[in-house]
Amino acid sequence: MNSNIFIIVIASAIFYGTPLFFAALGGIFTERSGVLNLGVEGTMLIGGVTGAWTCLHVGGSAWFTITVSILMGALAGGLVSTLLAFLCITLKTNQTVAGLSITIFAGTVGLSSYLANIWKVSRQPVPRPIRKLDVFGLSDTPIVGPILFHQTTLTYLSWVLAILATIYLFHTRIGLQLRAVGESPQTADAMGINVVKYRYVHTIFGGMLAGVGGVFYSLAIVPLWVDGMTKGAGWIAIALVIFGFWRPSLALLGAYLFGALQSLGSTLKARNVKISGDLLDALPFFMTIVVLVLVSSRFAHRKLGAPAALGVPYEREER
Amino acid sequence: MTSEIAVKMTGIVKKFPGVVANDHVNLEIMAGEVHALLGENGAGKSTLSNILTGLYRQDAGRVEISGKKVEFNSPRDALNAGIGMVHQHFRLVSTFTVAENVVLGEPDSSLFMDQKAVAARVQELSDRYGLAVDPSARIWQLSVGEQQRVEILKVLYRGARILILDEPTAVLTPIETTELFKTLRVMVSEGRVVIFISHKLDEVMAVSDRVTVLRGGRTVGTVNTHETSTTDLASLMVGRSVEFNRAVRQVPADRERIVLDVRDLCAHDDRGRVALESVSLSVSPGEIVGIAGVAGNGQRELAEVISGMRPITSGSITVDGESVQSGRARSAIAKGIAHVPEDRLHTGLAAGHSVEDNFALKNYRSMSRFRILQRQKIRDQSTHLIERYDIKTPGSETPVRLLSGGNVQKVLLAREFSASPKVLIAASPTRGLDVGAIETVRERLVQAADSGVGVLLISEDLDEILSLADRILVMYEGRIVAEVEAAQADRARIGLTMGGITT
Amino acid sequence: MRSPVRLERRLEQPKWLNWVVPLASLVAALILGAIVLWITGKNPFDVYQRIFERGFAGKRAFSGALEMATPLAFTGLCAAVAFRMGLVNIGGEGQFYMGAVGASYVGISLGGSPTGITIILMCLGGMVFGSVYAAIVGVLRARFNTNEIITSLMMNYLAAIFLNYLIFNSKSFWRDPDSPQFPKGKTLSARADWNTYSIFGVNLPIGFLIAILAGSAVWVLYKRTRFGFEVGVLADSPKAARYAGIRTTSTIVIVMALSGALAGLGGAADVGNFRGLLDAKGIQMAGYGYTGIVVAALARRNPLVTVVVAIFIGGLTKAGYALQGPNFPSGLVGTLQGLILFTAVAGEILIKYRIRMTPRRSEVVA
Repeated sequence: MNSNIFIIVIASAIFYGTPLFFAALGGIFTERSGVLNLGVEGTMLIGGVTGAWTCLHVGGSAWFTITVSILMGALAGGLVSTLLAFLCITLKTNQTVAGLSITIFAGTVGLSSYLANIWKVSRQPVPRPIRKLDVFGLSDTPIVGPILFHQTTLTYLSWVLAILATIYLFHTRIGLQLRAVGESPQTADAMGINVVKYRYVHTIFGGMLAGVGGVFYSLAIVPLWVDGMTKGAGWIAIALVIFGFWRPSLALLGAYLFGALQSLGSTLKARNVKISGDLLDALPFFMTIVVLVLVSSRFAHRKLGAPAALGVPYEREER
Repeated sequence: MTSEIAVKMTGIVKKFPGVVANDHVNLEIMAGEVHALLGENGAGKSTLSNILTGLYRQDAGRVEISGKKVEFNSPRDALNAGIGMVHQHFRLVSTFTVAENVVLGEPDSSLFMDQKAVAARVQELSDRYGLAVDPSARIWQLSVGEQQRVEILKVLYRGARILILDEPTAVLTPIETTELFKTLRVMVSEGRVVIFISHKLDEVMAVSDRVTVLRGGRTVGTVNTHETSTTDLASLMVGRSVEFNRAVRQVPADRERIVLDVRDLCAHDDRGRVALESVSLSVSPGEIVGIAGVAGNGQRELAEVISGMRPITSGSITVDGESVQSGRARSAIAKGIAHVPEDRLHTGLAAGHSVEDNFALKNYRSMSRFRILQRQKIRDQSTHLIERYDIKTPGSETPVRLLSGGNVQKVLLAREFSASPKVLIAASPTRGLDVGAIETVRERLVQAADSGVGVLLISEDLDEILSLADRILVMYEGRIVAEVEAAQADRARIGLTMGGITT
Repeated sequence: MRSPVRLERRLEQPKWLNWVVPLASLVAALILGAIVLWITGKNPFDVYQRIFERGFAGKRAFSGALEMATPLAFTGLCAAVAFRMGLVNIGGEGQFYMGAVGASYVGISLGGSPTGITIILMCLGGMVFGSVYAAIVGVLRARFNTNEIITSLMMNYLAAIFLNYLIFNSKSFWRDPDSPQFPKGKTLSARADWNTYSIFGVNLPIGFLIAILAGSAVWVLYKRTRFGFEVGVLADSPKAARYAGIRTTSTIVIVMALSGALAGLGGAADVGNFRGLLDAKGIQMAGYGYTGIVVAALARRNPLVTVVVAIFIGGLTKAGYALQGPNFPSGLVGTLQGLILFTAVAGEILIKYRIRMTPRRSEVVA
């Protein structure tokens, strides 16, 4: 029963969707504060390579190694996005170009590959990959077993994060102030909210989540480091933020939808279903375009909750 | 009234690139008074209040609150010291509810909000001060007047003792203004201080206890309101005596003919809501038709629709019997419609472009051969217009954004008038200009009408319309609700219709 | 706490800043790069010296720089043309692939035609494919207001998948039927080979000459024509453009198509001048489209300067390939390019703003 193709696809959709969700959730925090981070792809890669290096060099129990690797990946992602924050918030540069430069700097042929080279982690299988757990020994339960009880720790963590993020954004004081910063920094500033601080904190935190998403690639999905291994996941995550209307719960669903598209190819191939692999590979990218077109009319954008000040540097003494 | 000094500002200096906004300004305000800060645009009123609220920081000078020297590093510091400001451009998050806006930035360490308690407190405050508004409504659903009440509630909620209101009546109907004044009196009767910033003399006379007049960034003086008069205040404010009289027209309008004819016009605003509902009007050659109304009642959309910037959903626009294509600015320009938009710097002009390029903004097509621009022609046109319209600019190639407000408007008017239009749409053409520039602009409008142009003057300044227009239409919620000949116009009646009350 | 440093908008932008600032950004990027190298245990002087030797010094090295500069000049122009209007086309990569597909189709089909005609038709083929592919993004932006950044990027991935399909996963027209085990593109006939001239021992590819021509044409278009005027107004203020009756939607589509045509021309030059076949793996590895963004940013969107900057970045890239090995990690060149982009972006701010130190508290009270 659990070898039913739907169950396999759903279970692996959740698996492949997990890093997408981490990066998208990071994007939600960043964009809610009014900063557009187009450097997610590069940030994920830096997180991924740092995680792989840590995993190769830190001993101890599997739990310990993996935890430290994830934290290091988050730290690295945080550092990269601090750079972005400095460019976008302090220097008030064009956020699009700043984000792009992060991705070129850190990306496939940039720093992540450089670090992999000097750290000699390229194509080295990590000794302690992130494995799927067998929660309460229920992984063989029909239907729900593979879907709910046979996932990685990070996946369970992401569920907790999705709930916490929803509460944070929509039910707490800080969340309210964060959204005000993204909607109308002038208002927030006049009300005594430190716009710069809010933007920095959430941009950096967003980068840390993207870093964790990167670690999931190098420690769980492959699990070893290959240059440019996220293959555009960072960009899909940016699209997911829009797709999820800047809400964690919808972004989670979106991430699993894209995860399903990604896993469908290998699943079907294993079943000897004849379908063009190229076509399946193209689906996530094609879908992203379709979704963007659907939600992108200015009118829809405002209605769906795009932060009004997204991508606009805040300048106080404007006259 | 007690004699305790609530606010004392001495020797305040604030410079911005290219201007000294405050030049050793002094201000002294007593507890329990409504103190008016009077001055023209650019006199330094807003800068001074922004310093008092911690948004800007003075380059030199001293601020004391209740006798104690204070240093504000941020608006939060000022709020904590009991100073709250109601800005001219509201500082509200439009997607949030009234209650959410009110609690925003509240220095409360609790993680979660007690929405009910907040709503109850907001309700209580709004009852006490007569500021009717629903705490659970979202800002974008509210009228401008209601939004202003939210701004005031915000400040009261934070327990402000000193309230600064920056041009609060600009967006209000006469009735709403009266209500606001009542609220202000209730507040000062409780010992609070209200700083009322304005350039409208009548209102200052009506509401304030004392007046401090600023001119060109300096303090001119402080007077007791009951010991002064509008004429005195006007000469203090401008530095010489001025009187705006009804414009004298050399050539009467040719009412037999119609140059601009607008029939049953409907259109949407940027959010897709109905902004114009079946608007019909006509303008004769040489006639100035004034459109009065509180901002946001469809005036901007009307101007945009007639000038082809916004498509119409139904209805028709004709100039001299020829119809203008919907939403095609080029068609409107070709038919002879000139347009002086409200947003001069970013709609009427391309601010980053040079003066000469801006002169060519509408006729660059005729300044080219084989699609290559003829720069010499563009330059010649510019030299000619700069001289003819007496525009102060370092050169033809200077970006327009570097010019002063008055000269920016002159560039725009020069281009629009030199195209010899049949119809001229002017939206708030004098807003933000100093007195000298206002006079020039008004003269130009009258000259245009005298030369046979049909002028549609859209303005929120009722006095401007009363002094210039031959005929006055009043807009309310996207409709024309009243029409009067200027000769028979009654200020109070028009004020009522602007607020939606028809008799 | 208020930051002690403040940015203040400049009222006038002195002309000299326009070239001093990019040069200073370049120097700053090299210094930052040296710090990265030093931290990671490399000798920055040694590395930079080797880059200079292999990238620029001598006829052979300079020939290599020009070879790399050819595709980069085109992708740089592609990015610059769009940037000029405030459009961010990062789809230069995909449009470049499509240009290569179009040009190689023409090149393979026209086996027997004279070289001159073949070159012109290949250019046309590349331009048509590139511009149509980019115009899709333009239409979506103009029609539905869809963010062109993400769509153009998604189109890059789709183009890459399409390339792989043509060469590896199908028996397409482009694939060499004589090499079933090792899939590769069909080699173009010798007549479709683009010329390379030798001037004082430096190899000057005809593609680079075309790039200079294209750069000049774009310069004239933007500086001197009605269309350029319209694009300028649109970039400055979309509202003013609407007010003046400039057609926003069609201008967006035309600019995107032009941008894509330039990238496509680059793809054509890459096939005709250097590879001689549709090399699916090779052009994906090169990543010219992304590097073109760096070129355009450093050139501050000026089309003529873009061509010059392409030589510099080209030399850097060439050196990166030539030196690749245990002592010269592969990601270094990308890292340097990213740093150049950072400092160029930060430099833009120096042109627009002046930096002021906020007076200290004691001065305020004075």
